[in-house]
Amino acid sequence: MSQTDDLRSVRFRRQREQDWKTLDALLLRVEKNGVHTLQFIEARSLAALYRQACTSLSVAREISLDRGLLTYLEALTARAYLAVYAPQQTLGGTILRFFARSGPQAFRRSLGFVALGYLGLLLGTLAGILLYAQDTVWYQAFFPGGAADPRQPGAPASELLSVIYNPETPDGGNLSVFASYLFSHNTRIAIFCFGLGVFACLPSFALCVFNGLGLGVLVGLYAEQGLGWDLFGWLSIHGVTELSAIAIAAGGGILLGSAVLFPGPFTRKDALRRAGPDATKLAVIAALMLVVAALVEGFGRQLVQDTGARLVIGWGIGAGWAWWLLVAGRNRAGDA
Amino acid sequence: MADIPAPRSRTRRTPSRTRRLNEIIPPEGVPLHFAVAGLGARLGAQLTDMGLCLLFLIALGFVTNEVLPSAAWWSLMLLTFFAIRTPYYIATELMWNGQTLGKRMLGLRVVGADGRGLSTNAVVVRNLMREAEIYGPAFALMGGLERVDLWYWLTLLWAGIAIGVPIFSKTSQRLGDLIAGTYVIEHPRAGLETDLAAQPADVARRDDRFTFSADQLDYYGRYELQILEQLLQSGERSRRETPARQVQEMEQVSRRIRLKIGYSDPVKDSEAQAFLRAFYAAQRGHLEQRKLFGDLREDKFHTTDPETKDQP
Repeated sequence: MSQTDDLRSVRFRRQREQDWKTLDALLLRVEKNGVHTLQFIEARSLAALYRQACTSLSVAREISLDRGLLTYLEALTARAYLAVYAPQQTLGGTILRFFARSGPQAFRRSLGFVALGYLGLLLGTLAGILLYAQDTVWYQAFFPGGAADPRQPGAPASELLSVIYNPETPDGGNLSVFASYLFSHNTRIAIFCFGLGVFACLPSFALCVFNGLGLGVLVGLYAEQGLGWDLFGWLSIHGVTELSAIAIAAGGGILLGSAVLFPGPFTRKDALRRAGPDATKLAVIAALMLVVAALVEGFGRQLVQDTGARLVIGWGIGAGWAWWLLVAGRNRAGDA
Repeated sequence: MADIPAPRSRTRRTPSRTRRLNEIIPPEGVPLHFAVAGLGARLGAQLTDMGLCLLFLIALGFVTNEVLPSAAWWSLMLLTFFAIRTPYYIATELMWNGQTLGKRMLGLRVVGADGRGLSTNAVVVRNLMREAEIYGPAFALMGGLERVDLWYWLTLLWAGIAIGVPIFSKTSQRLGDLIAGTYVIEHPRAGLETDLAAQPADVARRDDRFTFSADQLDYYGRYELQILEQLLQSGERSRRETPARQVQEMEQVSRRIRLKIGYSDPVKDSEAQAFLRAFYAAQRGHLEQRKLFGDLREDKFHTTDPETKDQP
């Protein structure tokens, strides 16, 4: 028993215990109120104490068999690690960087995948037009409207036009409900379209094609009556933004799916993780575009009745997106 | 000491091998081990979050119903309903360093798997995947599955993948976690217990009633030492009056140890705890000494294979 006092691990613990307790107290505060509530000196000592705890843990693993001590140190160091390496970017800074650089850059890096999304839409639309020309029954199969919808094959041109040019001006209240419904509904679809991509690309692409089919049969219906130009205006005002958003979200999904299908030299898990950041940014871009699309569709489609004005607004906003996504952050492309 | 299974289940510290541990190496280079959160706990946190959000939505609806005109009220409801599905999770996990309200209540936390902390990007992507991974299959399964057609099998496959990935993942990662490079852990917590090998502050004189020879200390290994530590710690915690069952247990253990190591001096039953403490200190000193020389005995069976380190 004579060596009890001299146990190396006991002396080791006695010398450092006070520092651990200080760190413990700091951590309790950080976990409760967040790291920003610390004073400058406290934050500095948090980092120093964390490194000290790391050293203590690593030494204790070598010299001590005191399980209580090892468990405590492990938990303490882990907590300190979580506090010290908490996300430190400010939300404002992240958002600003996203708009100025990282968003458009991610878009340009994944142009090919976004193009696949557009391709899906285009193929779907073409197929829809051709199928409608072949047999109008396809309209019911692809267009998601009920029997109450006046837009049916064989309907007179005046009824078709009444949907496009809606002379009655609803009060502003209803428009805002409509806009918020469109926004939450469409954004969910886009996020969905994005997330589905991870299941081997196909679902995202298929959703694009399906959206295109619906569009295609509608175009077929109106073109049959010679109303193609009016429909084009009606679709342009919000569709340029909305359909692009769907294609971009699907592009993000396809990017994820391609990481699963073609991981290259990485494991699938690693490939997914590497594809993650760019795909996320595409989804966020799509969500942003859908906010705008919902506003334009909710208000603009009812308030602006002239085809020319509709075209200008729709394609003008589209050009704005294109400018942002293709030009912004280009001069500093190196420091992504 | 195979005959004392009781203390393990009684201590607050669960033995590490019942939980899955995952190693993270922070930039400081000292590996840290985190307990991977079980799927049950995560489901619990998810349900808690959903419940809280729904409650909030309903409460908000009731409160603002009287105040706002109907159109504005509907807009507010629609936007709030959207917000509680994805933005809520992103905002809370960013604000509280990887914890939503539900995770906070259940003591869970999201961490980055690469040891470099949680990035905004990771939080956003893991929650965007929620729509396709959790809500999607859930609503699809709840909704129409009346006909057995292609869609039926696709939905089943979809739900199967969404559920199967976290089940078969060693670290319980769902697809969103895989893409973000994150996983969910139990927030570590442990209090510092007294050092049993140190001289108690209230004892002035060193306890030298018991002495052990190097031969006697060569019998047991690390595993038995730490089991003994748990037994003594549980006695330590209830220091005022050690419960009768514990006293009895300590007497048994001390008799057993004396028999095994061939300790011939008489020890009264009332001294059992003091004997065990003295033996613990001596044994720890001995084993730590051997460890320093790179010759740690893992357990009394002289196991050396590191794979079976935690198996007695």
